[in-house]
Amino acid sequence: MDFKRLLNSKEFVVLDGAMGTMLQAKGLEMGGTPEALNIDKPDWLTDIHRQYIEAGSDIVYANTFGANRFKLKKCGYTVQQVIPAAIENARKACEDTDTLVALDIGPIGQLLEPTGTFTFEEAYDVYKEQIVAGSSADLIVFETMTDLYELKAAVLAARENSSLPILCTMTFEENMRTFTGVSISSMALTLEGLGVDAVGVNCSLGPKELYPVVEELCKWTNLPVIVKPNAGLPDPVTNEYDCTPEEFTEFAEKLIPLGVRILGGCCGTDPDYIRKLSEMLKGKKRVNIIHSIPAACCSATHTVEIDQPRIIGERINPTGKKRFKEALLSNDIDYILGQAIEQVHAGADILDVNVGLPGIDEKAMMVKAVKALQGVVDVPLQIDSTIPEVLEAALRVYNGKPIVNSVNAENGSIEKVLPLVKKYGAAVVGLTLDENGIPKTADKRFELAEKILNKALEYGIRKEDVYIDCLTLTASAEQEGVMETVNALERVKNELGLKTVLGVSNISFGLPNRELVSHNFLMMALTKGLDLPIINPNVDAMTGAVRSYKLLANIDKNSADYIAHYGGNNKATAEADQKTDIDLPYAIENGLKKEGRDITAELLKEHEPMYIINELLIPALDKAGDQFETGKIFLPQLIQTAGVAQTCFEVIKNYILSTGEKTVSKGKIILATVKGDIHDIGKNIVKVLLENYGYDVIDLGKDVDYQTVVDCAIENEVHLVGLSALMTTTLVSMENTVKLLRENNVDCRIFVGGAVVTPEYAEQIGADFYAKDAKESVDIARKFFGN
Amino acid sequence: MKLERINQQEAARYMGFRGNKPDKKTQAVIDECEKALLDVINPKFVYRLFGIIPRDNGIEILGTPLFLGGKDICEHLKGCSRCVLFAATISAGVDKLLRAYEAEDMTKAVVSDCLASAAIEQVCDGVDEIVKEKLTGCYQTWRFSPGYGDLPISVQRTFLDVLNAPKLIGLNATENNILTPRKSVTAVIGISEHEISKGRRGCASCNMRNVCQFRKRGEHCGF
Repeated sequence: MDFKRLLNSKEFVVLDGAMGTMLQAKGLEMGGTPEALNIDKPDWLTDIHRQYIEAGSDIVYANTFGANRFKLKKCGYTVQQVIPAAIENARKACEDTDTLVALDIGPIGQLLEPTGTFTFEEAYDVYKEQIVAGSSADLIVFETMTDLYELKAAVLAARENSSLPILCTMTFEENMRTFTGVSISSMALTLEGLGVDAVGVNCSLGPKELYPVVEELCKWTNLPVIVKPNAGLPDPVTNEYDCTPEEFTEFAEKLIPLGVRILGGCCGTDPDYIRKLSEMLKGKKRVNIIHSIPAACCSATHTVEIDQPRIIGERINPTGKKRFKEALLSNDIDYILGQAIEQVHAGADILDVNVGLPGIDEKAMMVKAVKALQGVVDVPLQIDSTIPEVLEAALRVYNGKPIVNSVNAENGSIEKVLPLVKKYGAAVVGLTLDENGIPKTADKRFELAEKILNKALEYGIRKEDVYIDCLTLTASAEQEGVMETVNALERVKNELGLKTVLGVSNISFGLPNRELVSHNFLMMALTKGLDLPIINPNVDAMTGAVRSYKLLANIDKNSADYIAHYGGNNKATAEADQKTDIDLPYAIENGLKKEGRDITAELLKEHEPMYIINELLIPALDKAGDQFETGKIFLPQLIQTAGVAQTCFEVIKNYILSTGEKTVSKGKIILATVKGDIHDIGKNIVKVLLENYGYDVIDLGKDVDYQTVVDCAIENEVHLVGLSALMTTTLVSMENTVKLLRENNVDCRIFVGGAVVTPEYAEQIGADFYAKDAKESVDIARKFFGN
Repeated sequence: MKLERINQQEAARYMGFRGNKPDKKTQAVIDECEKALLDVINPKFVYRLFGIIPRDNGIEILGTPLFLGGKDICEHLKGCSRCVLFAATISAGVDKLLRAYEAEDMTKAVVSDCLASAAIEQVCDGVDEIVKEKLTGCYQTWRFSPGYGDLPISVQRTFLDVLNAPKLIGLNATENNILTPRKSVTAVIGISEHEISKGRRGCASCNMRNVCQFRKRGEHCGF
């Protein structure tokens, strides 16, 4: 018997019930390592499995839930000892039956980056070890998962190191989300895309409370759905569950009409529950409902259905942007994050991410950017690169279902890109061009769209996941081509029934009043059925065009969204200030960002950048610093002034880049929050202040390896290094970092700070300076560089 | 448990306002951030009552592999027959909001960080109250956390496992025993049938006393 045959031969598949509850009844203490019992008490395990088999389980989960190298540390056994023993115990219980044995795998017990410190790649390795050790099982189950990212690492590890069927269940709360905020649709879209064999929910709630969760899940998947609920809800003091086997079965029965095919029990259930469940299922017919799953992409927390025009923000792209290029060259991820957040606030539903630039490692930068972006924004990403290796690297680490930008009708492109789209379960943008370039006519482009669609279907990609870009040509150069694009789009939409995407901004290149042309072209395309305009959402006329189109096309019911954006109330922004004749120092002192930006731009028409920095910006910052030191203003105010100064600096930087002059840098400084420490807000405050004083800060982030600091200092010839630590437990990392810098004879001075650092400690570990706060860090830098 | 408001006064103290009223502009930021935080805060907690056996060098928690080592925890639980272990978090959504603010606007990041710290304290106070209601007639100590005094922070992982906190409330610890999500607390509350003196709480029993930002300013954290 194997899983697929089991699924086909039976109306319902019955899983087992709780393992932990049963082991505790046998004497396992709370907080003990249940997996050690596979070796210490094999009879307990065989007995429990046998009870479940007798109660009617078609599949039993081996006692391997926490059998990973990380959790087993406590008991002294290895993964290679525990997992085969666990499967053997289950096999023994299954003798002379058709019952299957599942390799059961739960969360590692470490939160992944960016909330935790465990990397996606480390998680993959941990799971790979378990999967290899459990190769003798009949199937693999990942359960009680709350982080889709961790689950993705697990599924990839399974698919790449085993050919066993994969079942996945995540744990949802009554708010229809997991602890990490994963939504049900995101789970379903992502896992079905990754090619798992069944998907569902387990733990946290009883079968009654899980009804709405299961109902929602069934709408988003056509895979077999698994439900393994708890025996109701636990009492916090006695830990007893409130559902009897009869009630449990009664509520479970109500889940059947939703289309559930695989059932079992989680915490608090025992063989009685499984017996009642399996008796209830006897003679029942399963309900087969085929849902049409909508075209959609998602992050882990947010699904964007392509059922109406959705804006793809185009700003994360260095093409034609000097400031962006500089950010890429200097590894300035914060700049990219800033661009992302600005676009989301402006109304982007999806963000295109392109970091291709000669002279940088595009693959490494793409991975870094994707990881950082998904840590701060909820919108899904569109991964944009011409290099298949870059696409694959990004697809691996993306948490959700992304869009790939792009494939074209060339056979070479199809053969390289579409297998990746299929393997990682993405949606894909198909460009209507091939080895002969962009066809002139709409009919030809339609043919190429058709070819891409057929190839995608051959690879097993859903039709709903193919979005066609009929390609915008510049109206000033190829005026006759504009309508061809629009007509091709209309045919693709109506005749092929595909979603359409279009980069809009190109249309007006080289023309005066570009916005007017772009805006009208966008409206034309929307009317013909454009689903995914790629635009600069920060241009209000463009975003506004989409919003007003949705109103006029009766998509934005009761104009709710339109009114929410333009309905007067949001005019009174926090920055509005009655005073009109303000100067730069006033703007800085009062935290007026917009004014600061505008005034700086004006000043640059008449003054040198260095004059503005030295005569206006820095004195204003000094004044704020003095006021902070003397207790006249407080930390949030100091940072506000720094925030304005930062905005002014950004304007100056852009100006300098556009004139081709060398950047203003008063010196390079490395900042790092030491290994093991993840509290880096203090370091980030220091960074903002230092940058405001004209220093180039290389921010290595948090949880930074000692060696990384050494390598960075040598490579970039940096002679001032700042280290921060917030926890007493990570102070030793600070000491080790200092030690390694000294051992490697790095020519640098070191300043240290952070809540638990004292001047005495700084001296003791051999640091050169102690900074009690961000202001003092600036004083140290000024003294060091003599400026 | 649901938080309706965050204690702004407490948060302002964390921001370093030293009892001063925040200026108008900062106040606007505080209000905005409080609103955003309340949208993402998801208070979760778990607690259980255990018997204890005092040993020379620490406290044994009955029925578990957990041993709370050190003189300070012995002192804390003196006269107690049982203790409540609890873990609480305001969940990972807060971490994400704080990250986004750090990229967008450091003022909001700092303000929100302090508001989130105040929020988790409120959740802990709430748990205190619930324990009080559940165990009527008993007396309870204040909350003592791993890392306080000489109670090593290395007990964190086993502490969480005993409460099944990773599974029940999504609370974990890194290899360096830092709680994740960040705005989370684990603590021990002593339970006694007899009244216990509460005088010990204060700077003297705090291992942060030498580096405390409040003490440097001549203030008191309220601990």
